[in-house]
Amino acid sequence: MKDFRTLKLLDRLEKVFTSFDIDYKSMRKILQVKLTMDGRRIPTIFSQNAPKKDKETSNQYIKSLWIYVLFGLFMIPFLFIGDSYLFQMSLFYGIFTFFVMTSMISDFSSVLLDIRDRNILFPKPVNRRTISTAKMVHIMIYLFFLTIALVGIPLIAGLVKNGLIFFLVSVMNILLIDIFVVGLTALIYLSILLFFDGEKLKDIINYVQIFLSLAIMIGYQLLARSFVIIDLTISFEPQWWQVFIFPMWYGAIMDMIMNGDFQPIYLFFSALGVIFPLLSLWLYIKFNPAFEQNLQKLTYQGKAKEIKRSKLGQLLLTLICRTHEERTFFRFAGFMMKNERDFKLKVYPSLGFSVVIPFIFIMNDFNTDFDQISTSNSYLSIYFSLIIIPTTMMLLKFSGKYKGSWIYRVAPITQLRPMFSGTIKAFIFKLYLPVYLLLCVLFLALFGVKVLPDLIVVFINSCLYAVICFMILKKSLPFSESFEQVNQNNGALVFGLMLIAGLFAGLHFISTLFSYGIYLYLVISIVTLWMLWKKGFDITWEQVIH
Amino acid sequence: MIWKKWGFQDMRDMIVEINNLKKNYGSKTVLNGVSLHVKRGEIIGYIGPNGAGKSTTVKIMLGIESDYSGEVKLFGHDISDGSIEYKRKIGYVPEIAEVYDNLTGHEYLTFIGELYGLDSDLAEYKAKRLMELFGIGEVYHSRIVSYSKGMRQKLLIISSLLHNPELLFFDEPINGLDANSVMVFKEIMTQLSAQGKTIFYSSHIMDVVEKISSRIILLHEGKIAADGPFEELKRENKDGTLEQIFTQLTGFSEHKELGSRFVSVVREM
Repeated sequence: MKDFRTLKLLDRLEKVFTSFDIDYKSMRKILQVKLTMDGRRIPTIFSQNAPKKDKETSNQYIKSLWIYVLFGLFMIPFLFIGDSYLFQMSLFYGIFTFFVMTSMISDFSSVLLDIRDRNILFPKPVNRRTISTAKMVHIMIYLFFLTIALVGIPLIAGLVKNGLIFFLVSVMNILLIDIFVVGLTALIYLSILLFFDGEKLKDIINYVQIFLSLAIMIGYQLLARSFVIIDLTISFEPQWWQVFIFPMWYGAIMDMIMNGDFQPIYLFFSALGVIFPLLSLWLYIKFNPAFEQNLQKLTYQGKAKEIKRSKLGQLLLTLICRTHEERTFFRFAGFMMKNERDFKLKVYPSLGFSVVIPFIFIMNDFNTDFDQISTSNSYLSIYFSLIIIPTTMMLLKFSGKYKGSWIYRVAPITQLRPMFSGTIKAFIFKLYLPVYLLLCVLFLALFGVKVLPDLIVVFINSCLYAVICFMILKKSLPFSESFEQVNQNNGALVFGLMLIAGLFAGLHFISTLFSYGIYLYLVISIVTLWMLWKKGFDITWEQVIH
Repeated sequence: MIWKKWGFQDMRDMIVEINNLKKNYGSKTVLNGVSLHVKRGEIIGYIGPNGAGKSTTVKIMLGIESDYSGEVKLFGHDISDGSIEYKRKIGYVPEIAEVYDNLTGHEYLTFIGELYGLDSDLAEYKAKRLMELFGIGEVYHSRIVSYSKGMRQKLLIISSLLHNPELLFFDEPINGLDANSVMVFKEIMTQLSAQGKTIFYSSHIMDVVEKISSRIILLHEGKIAADGPFEELKRENKDGTLEQIFTQLTGFSEHKELGSRFVSVVREM
């Protein structure tokens, strides 16, 4: 096992830990094992082509930090534009808090909520305090790297521009925010665990992760344009309700020290900014035993609510799927897409993104004159929402529980057709349709009822596109392969498939040049869909068993 | 047993016929000429050391493994003819309980039932009822992830029985079940066999196998080392328990020596 540089650094604090009655040697051993395991946890995209040799040394989390460095760069302008420390720095700390908090929830939850400690370490002769401190330090190590990545460069920029005092105050503020975020996250988890069971907590974490990925995706698109929108020169007076926006506390500290403005509200904010992190840390330490106790809940689940099937749903299902087999797989795929967190994490962000992206393009076209929109044909930007189709079609064969797929072999499945058509219908109706309908409502509001025929064509084309993607992609049984098989080469393939969506949009544009062209296009699309649907799913067992 | 009462052997009652079955994984021979015949209503205790080829035999019969030589007939039909209709009459509990455990018990069982052609209402009703009767009704709507080992095993057993199969393959089915549940399960097996179901039962727990099997087949190094009712094996091998017969037939006699060597290393400090 490798001896980590981080741990060697930590060795200097040995005395501190020992004085708190912590068995430093054991703690170091525990941390060493955990860091080694983290190093071996390879993100799915690298798994196929990664050279085997440097597996041991590279920690993928550390590698992923460059993204935060990038976001850090975008924070620099907040230090330079404007002259109100309170406003600028509150914004700065606010963004910092957002990233730390979301990353805390998405990346460190597994550390904070690790129940293996309980089974593996608790029975061993190591004292509890040492185990929980190891957990704390483990999180702190990563938080340290994350913080450096995110604010390292901006702080140096601040040092150059605003001087040493600014730098020192910022460092202190950021440390306090870090502590507060850790304490707060743990306390939030604790309260969730008190009232709900583990599955609910995992769902909440899952949704935070989905939200974070979506926020980053949209953030990329908006960052470049954002500085036009935010007016950094507005005058700014502190208000009482801002007491709830805790980044403001630290903005206040900065303003107070830099401008020497010791008004009562600033003093009050500053006091809160120091007290709350320490309080949250103290509460966390105090309630840690209760927390560990409640972690046990992660392993079981209380009585769940019974879900009644609706009559209408049943009726719709018989309309959508004609055969018993197809219905079976429709329902199954629906449940899998609803319940599998890995799948949701990979698909839902792009689902949200596909709602947003058409509008980003519309905004691009019309940031000057908004009146022209309804007469333009920029409603064709709805085709951008089709990007969800190839990515999802590619992911449908994967599952975190792929080993359960032995059941396909054991069960009497003669024809594979209903399996694939049912799964694809489930995708179209359960995932794509809601997105499409939402877009339809927005587009009808924006462009008027006259685009209705166009929107219908788009839906038919989406179905057609799904079938074409299915036919081009390598066939595998749904939910039967490990996510680790997802490989990088797919990027090029997805890009190629997107060109097809471009083709649909192009044809659509051409059809609008003729009167009644759109109706002709509609008929052609429906006929093609009908033909491909008949042919496309004739798959034999030999084709899917590799 | 029904077939004994009838007193004649009808070909229709021959559920499993395996003749000279061979299977290799690369250069490694797993099955080296296995032949066995099983009649309706028998409970076969299918035993053997780790790696003897028990699971492989079962997987071949289920159509999970292909590429074997020899003849395998289930319900009188050669399974290599490509038809998979015979699978409708089979239930299977695998040794390693891998299921789509992000689904709830209700969702998973209904899916499995429907896969075997059950109407969805019937599948739902049966799944719920069977889970209640097996004492896990309260987790019917919970995700399988949150089940204990015993609950999972019960779910697997139920999933193998939903479609009222004729032939059952149980691979370590009582793994993780408590003593009371084991009693219930044994009773279920006895009743099923009395109804004419045929059961293939693999386990390493010898005293259970000894008690419930109407016939024991011992596989060793890809071959059948013993085949017959327990009483018969006892007569032939002059040893008391199935465990002793097992060690004798598999030629294992070093357990005492290995044990003491193990302990002596444990004591080193």
